[in-house]
Order: sequence, then C-alpha cells, then structure tokens
Amino acid sequence: MAKHTGRGIAAIEYPTGMNQNGDPSQAWIKVKPDGRIDVFAGTADIGNGSKTIQTQIVAETIGVPYDWVTYDNSNTDSSPLCTGTFASRATFVAGNAALKAAQQVKQKLLEIAGKELEINPADLEIVDGEVVAKGAPQTKMSVGDVAGAATFVHGELITGTGAQLKPYSAIIDSETGRVDTPPHSAISYATCAAEVEVDDETGEVRVLRLQQCYDVGRAINPTQVEGQIEGGAMMGLGLGVLENCYPYYPDVEHRGGAFGSYLAPSMEDMPQIDTILIENPSADGPYGAKGIGEMANNPQPPAIAAAVHDAVGVWITELPITPERVLRALETKESGGAEPRREGKKVVFDEELSVNAVSAGGMRFEVPG
Amino acid sequence: MKVVGARIPRYDGVAHVTGRTTYVDDVRIPGTLWVKALRSPHHHARIQKMDTRPAEDMAGVHAVITHADVPLLEYGHLSALGIPADEPLLALDEVRYKGQPIAVVAAKDEETAAEAVSRIDIEFEELPALTDVRQAFDTDAPQIHREGNWYTHFEDEMDHRQIRKGDIDWAFEHADTIVQGVYRPAAIEHAPLETQTCQVVPEPSGRLTIYSCTQALYFSMGVVAAHLQVPLSKLKFVGGTTGGGFGGKVDTATETMCALLAQKSGRPVKWRWTREEEFLCSSTRAPWHMEIADAVTADGWILGRKMLTLHDAGAYSRFSPYGLTKHSFHHTGAYTIPNLEFDGYVVYTNRVPTTAMRGFGVTSVSFAAEMHMSRIADVLGVDPIEIRLKNANRIGDTSPNGIVYTDPSTVSTIQTIAEAIGNELKAEYRTMTNAPRSEEWLPEHLVAQLGNPEEH
Repeated sequence: MAKHTGRGIAAIEYPTGMNQNGDPSQAWIKVKPDGRIDVFAGTADIGNGSKTIQTQIVAETIGVPYDWVTYDNSNTDSSPLCTGTFASRATFVAGNAALKAAQQVKQKLLEIAGKELEINPADLEIVDGEVVAKGAPQTKMSVGDVAGAATFVHGELITGTGAQLKPYSAIIDSETGRVDTPPHSAISYATCAAEVEVDDETGEVRVLRLQQCYDVGRAINPTQVEGQIEGGAMMGLGLGVLENCYPYYPDVEHRGGAFGSYLAPSMEDMPQIDTILIENPSADGPYGAKGIGEMANNPQPPAIAAAVHDAVGVWITELPITPERVLRALETKESGGAEPRREGKKVVFDEELSVNAVSAGGMRFEVPG
Repeated sequence: MKVVGARIPRYDGVAHVTGRTTYVDDVRIPGTLWVKALRSPHHHARIQKMDTRPAEDMAGVHAVITHADVPLLEYGHLSALGIPADEPLLALDEVRYKGQPIAVVAAKDEETAAEAVSRIDIEFEELPALTDVRQAFDTDAPQIHREGNWYTHFEDEMDHRQIRKGDIDWAFEHADTIVQGVYRPAAIEHAPLETQTCQVVPEPSGRLTIYSCTQALYFSMGVVAAHLQVPLSKLKFVGGTTGGGFGGKVDTATETMCALLAQKSGRPVKWRWTREEEFLCSSTRAPWHMEIADAVTADGWILGRKMLTLHDAGAYSRFSPYGLTKHSFHHTGAYTIPNLEFDGYVVYTNRVPTTAMRGFGVTSVSFAAEMHMSRIADVLGVDPIEIRLKNANRIGDTSPNGIVYTDPSTVSTIQTIAEAIGNELKAEYRTMTNAPRSEEWLPEHLVAQLGNPEEH
C-alpha cells in the first residue's frame, strides 16, 4: 500500500462566441459636459469581469483615464441588446460593440476639438484625457473642455453607438456538416499538465499541481484572465475527481439536495496552479483578444485522468474519478482484467460501457477493420 | 497601450467583497407576495386530475396559475433559431421529470404559499421512465417524449448530427492500429451561491419590472415576452449582476411564472428557490456518452476517427441541439484528423433537463478526445507530448466542418508546457511552429490528404 504520483497532459481548443454566430451585442455611449464617459450595454457581469473589460476597452479607445468611464448594464430600458454572457462571448463580441461605440465618440470629440483649436481633426489625437496636436504637444485642450464646448457652445450631444454581429454560419450540407463561413468569432488554445497523487489503499486522488498555458489572444486585464483560468481549473478539478449529480448514474435516485451532500471543490482541494499566458492575437477581436472563460474548465479532467494512469496504471473513463472507481479498477487490474481486448489490429477498451453491451440492439457502434 | 493590458482592479470588486452589491434577493418592495411551486414527485407520470381551488380558497393566497393561464404555453429556448419548442412552462397533462413545475402559487408569505401548494388536489398515473441513454433506441424502451426518444429536427429533418470528411474506410484500411474507447463524464451542478431568484413589480403604467439574475437580459426578456404575448415595451428587465451563473442562468427559470402571477394578482411577487430546489430542480450539465475509434499508424499519426455521441438532454431539448452541434464541430479537439465519421444524437431521459454549462458541448469531447490521445500514445509506446505536436492543427489545416484554421496555437501551448514541466523535446518538435505543414513532415500516405490544404 503506497501513494503514487503521476503526470498527465491535455491540449485543447475552444471557440469564442456562439457556435454558428448570429449573436449580436450592442453598446452606446454618451459624454457628460465635463468629458466623463457613460457606457450603456446589456451585458450581464456574472463574475466574468465584463464590466471591467468593456470599461478598459472604452477608456483605451477614446484615450481617457479608466476612472473617467462609468458602465451601466443595469436594465433593458437604457441599455441596448446583448445576446448574453455565455459562449465565451462577452470580451470579444460585447467588447467589440463597446470598442466601435468608443471610436465614434473619439471621432466626435476630435471634430469638436478641431473647431475649437482650428486644426484639422486628422491632425489631433487624444492622450490621457487631452486632445493634442500631433507633433505639437503644446497645442492641446482637455477632453472636459471639448465636451463643455460641445454642450454649451456648439449645442451638440456627443454620443457613439456600436454593434457587433457575425452573421449566422449555416450548415450547407447536412450529410457532411460543412458550413459556409467560420462558425465562431475566434478559437483559443490551451495545454494543461496535471500532477496527481493516488493512494492505492483508499483510492483517493489528490491533484497536486496544474501547469497551464492559454493563448488568450490579448490579455485586456491579465489579473482577470488569470482569475478566469485559475477558477476554471478548480471547476475542472471538480469535474475530474469530485462532482456528480447522480452517484448511481444512470439511476437518478440518491441525489444530493444540499452543499453538504454534493462534493464541490473547496480551498482544501486547491493545488498549486501555474498560469502562463500566450498572446497570439485574433484578427478581429478587440485589441486581439479571444474568449477563454469557458474553456478554462476543459483540459483538467483528461490531464488528471492521464496522470492517474501514469501513477497507478488504470484508465478511469467515467467521471468523476472517485476513490471507489480507482479501487475497483485496481482490483480488476490485479486480477489481470484491465487489459484491452486485442483482435487483429484492434485494441478495444471499455467494452462493458459501450452501447453494444448495454443496448438490446437498437443502436450499435460498428468499427471497420 | 495604457489601460488595455493593465492589471486594473475589478470594476465591481469592492462592492462584492464588502457585501454591498445589490443582488435580486436584496431588492425590497413593500407588499410583495411570495411564490412556491407544485412540482412533480415522479420521474414520468400522466396527470389524471388537478383541482387548484383548495389552494385558491386559502386566506392569504392571491393567485394560483397553471398551464391554462399561460398565453403561449410552449416557447423553446432556441425558438428564435427555428428549433421547435417542446417544453410547457407549466406541465399540461404529463410530467417527464421529478421536480417539473405544475402550478405556482403567490401568497402573503412563503409558509402560506407552501401550505397552499400542498392543498392542490392532484392525481398521477405513473409511467415507465428511461434514464440510460444507451437504452433509448431499444425496441422495448418506453417512449418518454411525444416526438420519440431523441431529437429529430436537425437540418433536412435529420434525427442526428452528422459530420463526414475524407474517406473513413481508407483510413481504417491503412491503419496499423485501431484504438477504441468509451468516455462518460458526469452530470454536475452549476451550484451558484445565488439560487434562482426573481422579483416582479406590476407598474401603474401597465408595464412589468422584472428583477432578474439572468445571464442574458435580452434573451430572457424575449422568452417572457413570447410566453406572455406582449411587446418588449411592456417589460423592463433589471439585473446585470449575477451571483454565479456558469450557464445555468441562461435558462429563464422563474421570470415568466412570476410575471404571470404579478399580472393575475396585481401585486409584486418574489420567488427565491431554496437550496434544495436549486440542486434538485434546476438544470444540470449534461452527462455524455461518447465512443471513439481512431485509425492510427505505428508512429502515431491519426488517420481517421469514427465517433458516436449520445447527449443526455434530460426531459426536454432546451439548448441541447445547439450543444451537440457545437460538440460535433470540435470533435477532433486541437488536432487535424483528415478522415471523419461522426454521428451524434440528442437523447431524452426522465431527468431534469440539462442545459448550457461552462464549455457547453465541448467540455465532454475535450475529455474524451484527450484521454483517447493519452491512450493511443500508451498503446503505441510513443511520447504523449510528441504525438500531440505531430497531429496538432496548423495554419491551413481544416476543421471537421471544412473551415481553414488561421491562427492555431496548439503547437506553442504544448511546447510552453513541455518546457514548464522540464520535458526535453527532440529538436524537430522543439522547432516546430504553427506554420502550414510541409510534405517532409508527413508520412507518405498522408501527403495526398494533408499535403495541400487547398485540396481538402
């Protein structure tokens, strides 16, 4: 009886935005008389941090400090449509809507400033809340004064609107599943290495360390994207070794109706997590960003399962990898029953789980060769 | 860049960590009625008789609604995409999962509402239930959904999602080894700290203000407007801050019923699911059944993949057809496999409907495809990192549905992790990039299929 360590690896990809697109997001912006910026968008912040991200995108695009920008997603009377916060779409799709609205605002600020400074707007830029003549930085005017002039001299309201929509990508052939255009906004990539310790007496699997690399396109806010990746890792750990609605699935009895009877990961389960970001910018994401919110819980279960095999030589292909499953697999292995069936060039695992074994003949998985 | 790329503190972080964020449950409206639901105690049953009058007659009860009170009883989560609705807002004559709502009551407090629910007179005739997706196709399987045991409305009214690419028979013929496995990730809970909660206020103008924890304000508003058959101008959704969603709060679980109760009673109403309801009656991540057979060469090239997926939708389709399609588009994972035969089914079972959850449709196949890759490496005795780099998708490769990859990072993320864990890669793998494949990197029998991206 001993504890064994092992390591496993998994590489994954995941799309940004709704599958097959057709999922619009919109934003609009108004400028107060002192140059402060109000953003209105319908993007719910579910803890993913989209309020912060969209605020950063707007501040950067207009050229004003972050704390000049107020973000309101509180209701559907004042905020325009956002399809929703899911499908890893908030940063990319809703972020692009905010970006486009901010570009309009910037253009209008430059036009008003051009009139005030009697300079062609194309020769002006906005830096840290000031409109500055390119190449002549002493000629400048604060964005607050520009907004004041717009309001009280020119009689204008500076606003901007933005909408992002990638048209629906249709399946053009139901036989092959081919689509006519890319059915996503971008694709992100990640690799995870898991280190585990398996106790062959209790069957318990402890995840010791997760080393993860994500291509995020562009980290609009590195702290937040690392938070998504680390939080997702814990969710993936739950999927891998702890959580199950139906302990006797496919039987549906004995469900846990409380946190006390449902094993969600806790701080005690948290391994060392090392996060490495790669920035391979997407062609049309805001500042090159891709969405990684969802995929953050995808690579851990297979990396953990491979690490368990590396540690004790058994493949657990039904999740979660519970102590009971580990012990049963070890028992089978000891009695010589863990080997796959080999027939010709076929190597067949898990036959007892297949529809071929369980179905009374209505569905078959036939493999040639 | 000054703001983009900066480690700026979270916009709403201070409010969250000091307990000052206003969630739906923190909204206080005087005169609010509380809501409780009559839910199915059976996995599958016919409703033989129901009489709500004993509940309506109770002191303190202001409204009871059933299917008869809903202007449009069935409106699907994906109706806007042309996918037919199959789930009644409140059960009509049949219940297909334990916990399915049948009637909802608004009363002066939670205790009165619960007592009223218990007084509703209802009789069921239990029906056989199906819980194992593998048995849904058996000739003696009970039919548990009015359209049959699996979804039948994919393009051209196909009863499954299909992907075909290249020549699968060629791949299995030319393989040195065929590796087969079965992968079954479990149903799990979203387990948000904030349970499904909704507050609706009927305004003097005739509008309804709906305080919602939805992840998708406009989507949920559309669902409510469709059931109520009112224009969007009659509704105002207030929200934008969700106390944990993970996909589960894309379902519009409470808003429509609360809106109907507010209309009927003329009073503000509030429904806050108990923790037990959140666990037992809210949707879950789907359990999936996946079988993979890969045709591989002795040195680790994957020539072809045959795959069968049974997606356990639970009692109704909700987002499952979408999830399965997304799954099919990504069933080769981060690799390029030139010959594919994928068949996937959305199968109904007598459990709470499954719905979107973080990684929807793909979390399952990431597990299956990656674990299968580890097994192939083990069976062949090749390095698990090298086999991944070898088959990694590259610029110019095509996805299962024929889209050219433009900026894949599979190679660089794997190389980065190899370095992080101290795995010394051979020179050819260390210097590999995501640039288009060149012929010298391909085995002879793959040159024809992968050598020229324009041709596949």
